[in-house]
Amino acid sequence: MIRRYAALIRNAWLVDLQYRASIVLWLLWGVAEPAIALGIWWTIAGDGSVAGYARADFARYFFAVMLINQLTIAWDSWYLDRWIREGDLNYRLARPLHPAHEAVAENIAYKARTASVILVVWLLVAVAWPAVRLPLDPGRWAITAVAVLLAAVMRFFISFTTGLLAFWTTRATAIMELHARVSLFLAGRIAPLALLPPAVAGVAGVLWFRSMLAFPVDLLTGTVQGTDAILRGLGGQIVWLGVWILAYRVAWSRGIRKYGAVGG
Amino acid sequence: MPSIVDAERLSKTFQVKVRDPGLRGALRALLRPRYRDVHAVRDVTFRIDPGEIVAFLGPNGAGKTTTLKMLAGLLYPTSGRVEVAGFVPWTSGPPFKRRIALVLGNRQQLVWDLPPEETFLLNRAIYDIPARDYGERLAELVTLLELGDVLQKPVRQLSLGERMKCELVASLLHRPPLLFLDEPTLGLDVTAQDAIRRFLTEYRERHGATVLLTSHYMQDVTALASRVLMINRGRLLYDGALEALVARIAPTKRIELVLGGSDGNRVTAEALAAFGAVKSFHFPNAVLEVRREDAPATSARLLAALPVADLSIEDPPIEEVIRLAFARGVEEDE
Repeated sequence: MIRRYAALIRNAWLVDLQYRASIVLWLLWGVAEPAIALGIWWTIAGDGSVAGYARADFARYFFAVMLINQLTIAWDSWYLDRWIREGDLNYRLARPLHPAHEAVAENIAYKARTASVILVVWLLVAVAWPAVRLPLDPGRWAITAVAVLLAAVMRFFISFTTGLLAFWTTRATAIMELHARVSLFLAGRIAPLALLPPAVAGVAGVLWFRSMLAFPVDLLTGTVQGTDAILRGLGGQIVWLGVWILAYRVAWSRGIRKYGAVGG
Repeated sequence: MPSIVDAERLSKTFQVKVRDPGLRGALRALLRPRYRDVHAVRDVTFRIDPGEIVAFLGPNGAGKTTTLKMLAGLLYPTSGRVEVAGFVPWTSGPPFKRRIALVLGNRQQLVWDLPPEETFLLNRAIYDIPARDYGERLAELVTLLELGDVLQKPVRQLSLGERMKCELVASLLHRPPLLFLDEPTLGLDVTAQDAIRRFLTEYRERHGATVLLTSHYMQDVTALASRVLMINRGRLLYDGALEALVARIAPTKRIELVLGGSDGNRVTAEALAAFGAVKSFHFPNAVLEVRREDAPATSARLLAALPVADLSIEDPPIEEVIRLAFARGVEEDE
């Protein structure tokens, strides 16, 4: 299986190299959203603070968002929607490799490429700007790595499962788009959850949105403190991951029976 | 010898959303969707022995491709039973998929932006092909398909014919005993079509592979297939040798004549009409149509009665036979 993944990742990178301009554009997009959010909160915070967040806290928060969002984001619903509607799933189903493996490999390739660039940018910025430096605590970094992995796997299953809706509807990407809009607020992409109205933040915590991004970000920046809070966060991630894996299994086994194998 | 494909009463019904035209129709479909059953394949039963080349014949939408996709495990049948290479296709995993190749004329697995060799290397990893086997097989396929220098060009720069050849390479590197080819010559020029046909014949002879193909081109069928399965509106109309189909459908033979004699005692159309239906007559060439069983006797009479320089007995053109067969729906007599 390792050889297969190596071959898939290699091909993904080779294709990337054909489209250098689009890599830069995606990277800019990944940087622009948190940078703009940071700009807004920077202005609002002024010399004081908002809900306990001063300028330096916002800076750390959004740099962490920038990195962790790129490490956990998944585009699979768009691919799957196309595979299913246009019949590109056909030859993938005829190969002795589940199509999900190709999607996972694409994710690894994408994440390694964008996140490494963002990491370098962050390190360079941190040299000049102490505000975005993180506490150097190996234990916390290790726990964050676990939380990031859980979030990445969960977001993969969310995206893949939503893409599978293309077996039933032509609007699968619209559903994913809606999910992305909601997660802009509920996952903490536009503001730390602590700044949202308590009811809204509560919903984000009960559903899977906090587990997607805000929780690993808060872990990395040190906002989540205490074993209890950390375990509760990780527990929530594991539960929601389980739910989404189950949803994936149901959607795949039912969808594949419904598949019309378009084309040809 | 056990069959490699064994299909029994195979059926596939699709539910298709029905929508009236216009905005009102769209709204109504949204609020109260209506569905119609489309019977793509109905009660199809057949067996295929290892090493056979079998062609599915039928007009667009006849159910050929749907049948092929069920055999390859892409589609779940609505009812019926299939065993392919000892597996139930849609529930069998990698062991089954290693034994088949699926080539779709209008869908490609080659990575569009990369040279074809990158897709071959990917398949080498996916199918766990040992490095030495990979090298040998690639060399063989490249020689048979006369691919030469296209392996390093990006796929998007290849011609349609070169792309199809590379599709075949990608699909055959794991040397499957069973090939499903859906319109493998679709859109190709005559030279490329011919190259693909020659390749498939050669490949089958070398490796004893079983080939199931669908095609719109009769030449594919006549050049490749020893047996045809004729499908129309989801039903299997005929299963057997092409020649036997011709004999059943076209109860006539054509006698093609080149007449001799000089201008003075030219044979006339009226004189020919006494022997059979005159299909065409441009002295000295004439074509007569006679009942199949009468062909030898009529030929003897022609040779005795008229100054004949050359005579041949032919089947009617295959396209004509197929057209007739679909028009009539081939009465199965057993």
